[in-house]
Amino acid sequence: MSKIRITVLIIIALLIILCSLFLGPRVINPFGLSEVEKEIVFSIRLPRVVVAVLMGMALGAAGAVLQGVLRNPLADPYILGISSGASLTAALGLLSGFYSFGRFTLPLTAFIGASLVSLLVGAFGWKRGGLWPERLLLAGVGLSFLFHAILMLLMSVSTNEGLRRALLWIFGDLSMADWSLIPYGLVFIAAGLFIALLRAKALNALILGDEFTHSLGFSANRERLLLFVSMALMTAASVSLGGTIGFIGLLMPHIMRFVAGADSRALIPASALGGGAFLCLADLIGKSIFTPMEVPSGIVTAIIGSPYFLYLLRRRDVLSI
Amino acid sequence: MAEKQYSMEKLIILFLVLISHFDAYSALAGETPKRIISLAPSITETLFALGLGDNIVGVTNFCDFPEEAKKKPKIGGMSNPSLDAVVSLKPDIVVVTTDGNPREFEERLRSMKIRTFVFGSRRLKELPGGIRDLGVAMGVRERADKLAKEMETTLNSFNNSLRVTRDASLRKKVLFIIWPEPLIVAGPGTLIDDVIRLLDNENIASRAKATYPKYSIEEIIHQAPDVIIIGKGHADMKEASSSLLERLKSVPAVKNKNVCYVSDSLYRLGPRVAQGIEEFAGCLR
Repeated sequence: MSKIRITVLIIIALLIILCSLFLGPRVINPFGLSEVEKEIVFSIRLPRVVVAVLMGMALGAAGAVLQGVLRNPLADPYILGISSGASLTAALGLLSGFYSFGRFTLPLTAFIGASLVSLLVGAFGWKRGGLWPERLLLAGVGLSFLFHAILMLLMSVSTNEGLRRALLWIFGDLSMADWSLIPYGLVFIAAGLFIALLRAKALNALILGDEFTHSLGFSANRERLLLFVSMALMTAASVSLGGTIGFIGLLMPHIMRFVAGADSRALIPASALGGGAFLCLADLIGKSIFTPMEVPSGIVTAIIGSPYFLYLLRRRDVLSI
Repeated sequence: MAEKQYSMEKLIILFLVLISHFDAYSALAGETPKRIISLAPSITETLFALGLGDNIVGVTNFCDFPEEAKKKPKIGGMSNPSLDAVVSLKPDIVVVTTDGNPREFEERLRSMKIRTFVFGSRRLKELPGGIRDLGVAMGVRERADKLAKEMETTLNSFNNSLRVTRDASLRKKVLFIIWPEPLIVAGPGTLIDDVIRLLDNENIASRAKATYPKYSIEEIIHQAPDVIIIGKGHADMKEASSSLLERLKSVPAVKNKNVCYVSDSLYRLGPRVAQGIEEFAGCLR
């Protein structure tokens, strides 16, 4: 990827972040902040921007990693059932009246669910000492259907209205973002991203096939496992920060392949950067367009992202993972 | 020819529709139905208030007031009642609401020759009339009239007392929180909005485009409500709303400790509305 493209991408990302702080339901002049505006910028908008950027980065990078590991352009972090598993444990937690961790309860139960499902998918995808892409994918799809069905079952028989409302959160909500959760999210996402960047070269090899990977001196099984763990860490942290946000994990890597090329060493950071900036923008639009109401960011990401993706698709001749 | 047949069909359908309506009205004039099914918690409460509790043979899973309602056989949810369960209870009449029951369900019942009564009131001022109509249909006209009159007296008492004493500077900015995380509030077109208006105050969420909008926190800080009222939910609402209130600590309502927790009486357009209005008035004093 050329240095110019990276620079442009970083500048766009920074501009979006700045806009998110000072535009919104009401425009705030950064040079004449009143007391109220100071509070809005620093304790409402800034944590929200940080959460959006973190989640977007995690989802974009996790998508790029997973599409490579599974050698499948349709893979996204949610296809493995991680989001439906997280929603299910969060719902079960709410139903059983588990509220011991106050406002951490929902993120914590979601994180536990996401991690458990990752382990489960890993276990189903494990055969003869390694993870198998097709097994992982099919196990994920199977589990995803199962969890989704159980969740729908709970929703349709439960008279608990709080459950329905709390599930709005699971379907993508950044409005409650505050500083308290950010350090935890940051640790897991940074760890996942670090592993992914470290193993990006091996991911390039994995995409070209196991034999090729071996010929380069990597152990395919070991690399796949490491990359899977990195993806699971980022996805679980992102779900617990703000629920399930679609589109970014699936399509941001594809958009970035058009921009940055297919080399994972460029693609993973570019997808992270693009994902972070894009979710931030989507959240800004979602909270401004029908003010004082808010539209969940997951809806906005898909509505503005998909046409752009289709436009890029029309323009390209050659497609690759 | 085909066209003629078509218009013939239309005539037949019209005739059938008319017949079914007459059928419904003939039920209205008759005596009290022995087996009533209610498809909404508000209707269940109203039927109990009209002294028809013993005649109710089926209610929704959400009908939890009064206490006896919980013991009645259940027929499913409001948006997804079970046709099977309703039919097997052999009702003389099924009371449905336009506010929450699917229209198709009522049509389906009528097509199966099961009598229905559609409770159409959705707003505060429509409630006394709605209760009277329901009373006529259930053959308890006098009791319904009494209940409706009580309701009107309450509504008028607030209207009159306010008209005399209030001036605009006393008007408070109010926010009603249905659920804190994610933040859902009572918007325009809701019973809660009606009551805030009745008490001559301003609902800050009345500008929103949805009845129960997902509301922006920074907008609340800007709009600076004087009073925040929090409705009853499934959890301990004091605990559930604590982190939201922490974030709203600069808002006058929170700063001056004008945060008020109320029951669910205003979630349902039924006989407890008067009590709900009193509760609100207490919060806004």
